[in-house]
Amino acid sequence: MTTTKEEVLPRLIDIIQPFNKKDIELTAATSFANDLELDSLTVMDLVAEIEDEYDIILPVNMLPDLETIGDVASAVAEIKSK
Amino acid sequence: MRIDHDQFDQRAGAEVSDVPAGAPVQDDMTTPTSPGIERRFADFDTLQDAVDYAATSACGLNFFDARAANPRALTFRQLKEEAQAFARRMIARGIQPGDRIALIAETSPEFAVAFFGSVYAGALPVPLPLPTSFGGRGGYVEQIRNQLTSCDPRLAVAPGALTEFVAEAAEHFGRGIDVLGWEDAAALPEKPCDFPTAGPDDIAYLQYSSGSTRFPHGVEITHRALLANLNGHAVGVGLREGDRCISWLPFYHDMGLVGCLLSPVANQTSADYIATDDFARRPLSWLKLISRHEGTSLSYSPTFGYDICARRISSQSSVAETFDLSRWRVAGNGADMIRPSVMESFAKTFAPAGFDAGAFTPSYGLAEATLAVTISEPGTGIETDLVDERRLAGESRADAAANGDLRKRRIVNCGRPLPGMRVEVRGADDSLLPDGEIGRVLIAGPSIMTGYFRDPEATAACLDGEWLDTGDMGYLKDGAIFIVGRAKDMIIINGKNHWPQDIEWAIEQLAGFKAGDIAAFAITTPQGEESPAVLVQCRTSDPAERARIRDQIKAKVKEMTGMSCVVELVPPRTLPRTSSGKLSRSKARSLYLSGEIQPLQVAA
Repeated sequence: MTTTKEEVLPRLIDIIQPFNKKDIELTAATSFANDLELDSLTVMDLVAEIEDEYDIILPVNMLPDLETIGDVASAVAEIKSK
Repeated sequence: MRIDHDQFDQRAGAEVSDVPAGAPVQDDMTTPTSPGIERRFADFDTLQDAVDYAATSACGLNFFDARAANPRALTFRQLKEEAQAFARRMIARGIQPGDRIALIAETSPEFAVAFFGSVYAGALPVPLPLPTSFGGRGGYVEQIRNQLTSCDPRLAVAPGALTEFVAEAAEHFGRGIDVLGWEDAAALPEKPCDFPTAGPDDIAYLQYSSGSTRFPHGVEITHRALLANLNGHAVGVGLREGDRCISWLPFYHDMGLVGCLLSPVANQTSADYIATDDFARRPLSWLKLISRHEGTSLSYSPTFGYDICARRISSQSSVAETFDLSRWRVAGNGADMIRPSVMESFAKTFAPAGFDAGAFTPSYGLAEATLAVTISEPGTGIETDLVDERRLAGESRADAAANGDLRKRRIVNCGRPLPGMRVEVRGADDSLLPDGEIGRVLIAGPSIMTGYFRDPEATAACLDGEWLDTGDMGYLKDGAIFIVGRAKDMIIINGKNHWPQDIEWAIEQLAGFKAGDIAAFAITTPQGEESPAVLVQCRTSDPAERARIRDQIKAKVKEMTGMSCVVELVPPRTLPRTSSGKLSRSKARSLYLSGEIQPLQVAA
C-alpha cells in the first residue's frame, strides 16, 4: 500500500497543532526549529506522538534531515509505503 | 495531553497482561543479577583485567527496546570474546597501541564490544555523540568534525545508518579516517595475535563530555584513574548482592559511560538499558525497566530526567498499578544543578508506586575527575541548606547579614569525597576558606585526568600539580560539599552543557558579525529554568532590518547548537570588557539583567 505526502500532511498538522505554542499557521514549509522554536525535549515528545499515530519508528539517522513539517510528511509516507 | 503509560498498557504491556498489574516480570532472556563469584570492587590494574574477571561472572548487559521490552543480552563472557575478536581485527588492520578509534556511542551491544575491543587492542576508544532531534544536520556534522579533529583517530566506527554523517565529518582530513559501520567492522578479517600489555598509567580512553562543541577537549583517563573511581563508586553506593544498574544515559556522557557501563563491568553487576532517544520519547520506559527488576536498583539521572517523568504522568492515572519503585535503592542525582523542588515533585508523584525519597543520592562529579568526586550517604535523601541569594551572588556573609535580605535558595548537600579524593574551597586570593564560605572548588586524588588530549594550554589552565580547579563554586560543611553554581560561563539546558563560545561562534559564521560583538550567557526564566541569551552589537538603525537580523541570528544558533535563544540587539560598544580587553560575559549578563544595557527596538 502506498501513502503519499499529501495524504499524510493534514493529519500530521493536527498532531503538531498542540505543540504550536506561538499559534502560527502550519504548512508544509513550517520549520520546527525556526518557526515553531521547539526545544529538543519537546521535539522528542512530538516524535513519539507521530510514531504512535502512524505505528512507525522514525530512525535516528533520518531525524537530522527533517527540517520542516513537509519533510516529516514525506518521511512518514516513505516509511508507510515500504 | 496524552497519557504515556496507558500506551504501555496497550502495547508493551500486552506481554505482562497475564500477571497481576504492577508485578515485576523477570525475563529469562536477561542476565542474572547475582554474579555467582566473589565480587571485587574494581581492584584491578587495567580495564582488560576487569573485563577478564567480569567474564567469569554470570552477569552482563541487557539492551531493551523503546517500550522496555525484547531485551538483547550480552553476557560479560560474550563481551570479552567479542571484544577480543574486535581487537584482533583492529590489530590485523594495523591499529597500533595509542591510536584512537572514534565510536559513535549508540546504546547497543555493538558499541560495548567496540569500546572494550579497542581497549584490548591497546587503542583509545573515543565515544562520540549521536544526533538527537529534528533538523540540525549541519550542527551535528560540525560537532563530529571538531571532535575528530581533536582526537585524530585512525578509524571511526558507527551504526551503519550514521556512517554517511561521520564520513561527511571526516572529509578533508589530510591523513584520512576510515569510516566503518558496526557490520563492516565485524566483517574485517581476524588474525591470531597477542594483545599489547597495558599498564595502570596508560590512557584507557578519551572522553568528550566536557568542553564546548566548537573547541572540544578530550579528557584523558588512565586505567588507574578509572579503576580508582569505579572502586569509589561501588564503595560510595554500598554495592551489594541483589543490586542491578538500570540506565538510559548516553554512553558519550561520563555518567552514562563510566557510571552505567564501565562500573557494571568492573564491579561485576548486570545492567539494563534503554537508548537515550527512546527515553526522550517515552521516559516512563525507564521506570518500567526499574519496576521489572526483582532485586534492588541503582539508577541515576540529571534533574531533567526526573522532571520529565513527573510531568508525563497524568494525574488520573494509577501510578501504583503501573510501577513498582519500592526497590529503587539508589536514585542518583548529578551531572547538573540538582533542583530540590523537582525531586520533591517526583517523589510525591511516585510515592504511590513505592518510591522512597530517601533513595535520592546526590553526588558531585565531572569528566575531568573520571566521574564522581563526592557522593552522599545512600538512604539519606536530599539534604539542603538555605543560603541567602546575595551570598550566592558574591557578597560576604557579613554584608548579606547586614542587609537583612530574605530571599533564600536551597543548596543541596552533595556528600563527602570518594576514597582517596580530596576537596578544597579557595577564595579569589587562593587561600583556603573555612566551612560555610563560598569559593572555587578544587579537587585532587587518584581519579583526576592526566590532562586534555594534545592541549597543554587548556590543561595548564585548570590543572596545577595534583589540584584541578573545577571552575565550580561551592562551600564545605563537615567535610561535605555544597555546590552553588557550575562553571560560571557554562549554560546547562535539560542536563546538557552548552558553552557560550559555541553560540558566539555560530553567530560569527554570519556575514557582518565578528568576535567581540557577541556575548552569550544563561539567564533564569521565571520558572527557575536556565535559558541561553545572547547580546549582539548592531549598527543598523532600521527596525525592520533589525528584526531580520535578529531572526537570522536565532535561526543560526538553533541550527548550530539546537537551542532556542533569546537574542537582543544592543548598540555598538556597549558590551563590557575585562581589564585585559577580553569580553566579560558575566558582566554583560549583570548589566543586561539590571537594565544598564538597553536592547535596541526591533520591528514587531
